[in-house]
Amino acid sequence: MREVGPGARTTISFKVNGGAVEVEVSAEDRLIDVLREGLRLTGTKEGCGIGECGACTVLLDGKPVNSCLVPALQVEGREVETVEGLAKDGRLHPLQEAFIEHTAVQCGFCTPGMLMAAAALLRENPDPTREDIARAISGNLCRCTGYHQIMSAIESAARRMRAQGPGASGAGTSEPPGAPVVSEASRREIHSRDSAD
Amino acid sequence: MDEPRWVGARVCRIDAVDKVTGRLKFMSDLSFPGMLWGAVLRSAHPHALIKKIDTSKAEAIDGVVAVLTHKDVPGLNGFGIVIPDQPVLCFDKVRYMGDAVALVAATSKEKASEALRAIEVEYEPLPVVDDPEEAMLESSPRVHADGNIHHRIKVERGDVEAAFREAAVVVENTYYTPRQMHAFMETESGVATIDEDGNITVWCGSQHPFRDQLQIARALGMNPRKIQVVSTPTGGAFGGKDEITIQIYLALLALRTGRPVKIVLSREESVVAGMKRHPMKIRMKTAAAADGTLLANEVRVVADTGAYASLGGPVVNLAIEHSCGPYRMPNVRLEGFCVYTNNGLAGAFRGFGANQVIFALETQIDMIAERLGMDRLEFRRKNALRQGDVAALGHTMTASVGAVATLDAASRCEIWVRREELKARPSAPHKKRGVGIATELHGCGLGVGLPDYGAATIELLPDGRFAVGVSCPEIGQGNTTAFAQMAADSLGCSVEDIVMVSGDSRYTLDSGTSTASRSVYTGGNAIRCAAARMREAIADLAAEALGAAREEIAFGCGNVTVRSCPAGEATRSARRLSFREIACIAESKGRKLKAEGDFIWPVADRGVEGYFGLPHLIYSYITQVALVEVNTLTGEVEVLRVVSIPDPGKAINPVGIEAQSEGGVVMGMGYALMEDTVIEQGITKTPNFSTYIIPTSMDAPEIETMIVEELEPSGPFGAKGIGEAVCVPITPAITNAIHDATGIWITHIPATAERVYMALRKQAGEPAGA
Repeated sequence: MREVGPGARTTISFKVNGGAVEVEVSAEDRLIDVLREGLRLTGTKEGCGIGECGACTVLLDGKPVNSCLVPALQVEGREVETVEGLAKDGRLHPLQEAFIEHTAVQCGFCTPGMLMAAAALLRENPDPTREDIARAISGNLCRCTGYHQIMSAIESAARRMRAQGPGASGAGTSEPPGAPVVSEASRREIHSRDSAD
Repeated sequence: MDEPRWVGARVCRIDAVDKVTGRLKFMSDLSFPGMLWGAVLRSAHPHALIKKIDTSKAEAIDGVVAVLTHKDVPGLNGFGIVIPDQPVLCFDKVRYMGDAVALVAATSKEKASEALRAIEVEYEPLPVVDDPEEAMLESSPRVHADGNIHHRIKVERGDVEAAFREAAVVVENTYYTPRQMHAFMETESGVATIDEDGNITVWCGSQHPFRDQLQIARALGMNPRKIQVVSTPTGGAFGGKDEITIQIYLALLALRTGRPVKIVLSREESVVAGMKRHPMKIRMKTAAAADGTLLANEVRVVADTGAYASLGGPVVNLAIEHSCGPYRMPNVRLEGFCVYTNNGLAGAFRGFGANQVIFALETQIDMIAERLGMDRLEFRRKNALRQGDVAALGHTMTASVGAVATLDAASRCEIWVRREELKARPSAPHKKRGVGIATELHGCGLGVGLPDYGAATIELLPDGRFAVGVSCPEIGQGNTTAFAQMAADSLGCSVEDIVMVSGDSRYTLDSGTSTASRSVYTGGNAIRCAAARMREAIADLAAEALGAAREEIAFGCGNVTVRSCPAGEATRSARRLSFREIACIAESKGRKLKAEGDFIWPVADRGVEGYFGLPHLIYSYITQVALVEVNTLTGEVEVLRVVSIPDPGKAINPVGIEAQSEGGVVMGMGYALMEDTVIEQGITKTPNFSTYIIPTSMDAPEIETMIVEELEPSGPFGAKGIGEAVCVPITPAITNAIHDATGIWITHIPATAERVYMALRKQAGEPAGA
């Protein structure tokens, strides 16, 4: 980590979602400030500022971190992944798809951090138990959902990713217009009602 | 109307794609050129006189653009939904640590903080009023000049004394409930902008953009039409963003500086300054006859509303209304006090006074059942209100009543049926299992005496889709998806053809709040009304274009046809117009197809004289069953399984109801077992999530939601509302389960490990200390 005195500014280089960036930072800046204000990647949210709520979770060299606790200077030369990098080539990540299908999203403020924590889990452990999932997201607070739909979504995404084989991390359906509108069960139900018309 | 295609289907949220991609801009994500950072100087004392405010040093700091005090409030220096007793910026005294004394706007967050530190305020501290019952005494120091009892309600019906004399069982207890925090994940955040004509736009998550507009206009002394308020999206609210939070500060700073100004509260500032659930002390005396008929309930509620009124009065009114639950209770004496203290601020919170009294009542109910040797569920079912019954406050239950239906469903759920078997198999010898049940009814809408209305707009867009506007904000509950479903079925199109416009005072009509379990019912009815008018307009245009009689126009899915057209596909398609073609025809004729719909809430057949906001005509119902395991060595309680049985009327989006139900269960579990905002001598001791603990994924029990649909004829497609009820009976279901497991009664929540442990020791006859 570079030595910079209080108040002094310096430029750091690192990778965000695969692309190289250079940002001017001060010693006081946190990674979340660089992402949200410096790079305007506002998908990453701040919920508590003390590393308790997980809303600011991003991946640093593939590991989940609270970006409110990481000094910006520490990311020099490293790789950061945020929610904006989950969808690839206009195609949703299987986790994003599953969150939509399982109504794992309510107000949506914890969602980006929750997705990043889940993405880190599935890279480490492609076949997690419900208990593994609960543990992996236990640092991510959600006040709306009660966590079940989130855990079901992660289970479902894991199944889908295993079925698609390795290297399928960003191979969901395209969006829009392919984003799901109704769950699979209801789609069948609606179609059967349609054909009965 | 044809059978609905979208209503009742498990529809994915229409806002989910933007939320999972991080594309959705919350108010804290907005940024404008030339934007300044605003900050609020909060009080340094819980109760003090302000002797002097000197802002000169702050103003002199390079980068500080404005410093505002009470002298800079052009209009009314006060806000508050019922009475505007909370100063925008304090002038003579401060009444809690969250009181705002000055505002700053600066070119950076750091400069804004520096400016706050440079403002000099001279205070003369006053004695802190922190015990609501002491505050009620004449001898108490006063928080407000006209006394500390902000509001008092008393309702009597029948003869409670006679009932207590004749009863076979009378139980009387005192209950204490904590100061629960909303803990929405997005703190109060937003931006205000101002244009060259002085029009202000305030982007700030909240629960009623039009009331925010009114309160901002009043404080600025400005025509409300010059102020636009955008309240959607909101990153969670649960009642905590019903009152004004930072909207007036934003508008004042934009007005003064002529530049966009952004404020984002830190979590600590949000906790200290924001609303909480009223802590209540509840004395409850309940009587039943030997055959298990409930005879009387005497209730005395003292609620700590903190420094300002906000919705404290209505919360206490609703506590009184809900204090007899979904039961016939022929004799009642119900009294509630809403008391000012220097303990922060209490106001609206999901459940709105019911959570506290239902916890007390449902414990009383279990105690009486136990004393009578009756089955807890049977006892509830025996006394449950049926349609046509007279409720405790004397009004007749004429709308749909699902109390018995949810109890019936509970009697068949697995953890209830197999409860003895489940209890017999704890996970360790020192653990004990129990099953608890609780039920409630929950008023939907604002109740007797308050204007309660809905409005919706529908516009046919050039591409054949419909823009549907309802102002009730999307705060995470999923109302925009439910609106889109109801609009799609009312118009005859797909959910994908609906573009929702939500929570914007410029582009929607006032449809009231996203509170009080009201927005789906209200917005849905207004959408139904607007859609009927839109279909008439479409039918007129189609009849003209197709050369058919108006009555011959039939609506299909996304199109209209001529009803009597002869058989043959070719003729039929020649006489069919899609909504897109209708839009083209309208455009070619220079016409815009737009419709407005409105709706006024029906109310109960009688009110309670002298009070407003109660009772209600329409209630949602819910029964919840919990299986818990108590560690008898530590007092720790684990909730293993919950069955949640809501009656929301028609479930517009069943997966959305499940989402509400699960979230409500976990929030009500936090209330039962762990949550309390500790304030000592006016100082908040739990200002962030390291000390204020809410349930995590590791705490969440297995939850099954069984929806019971008691259709409400006045509701859109039969819907009522369910946003609040889902978090209420779960609390006593859990504490009753602790009793079932261990024999101890919980009368003071949260039932933390310490409280349970001490109660277990007391039960065993061991000294509590040791």
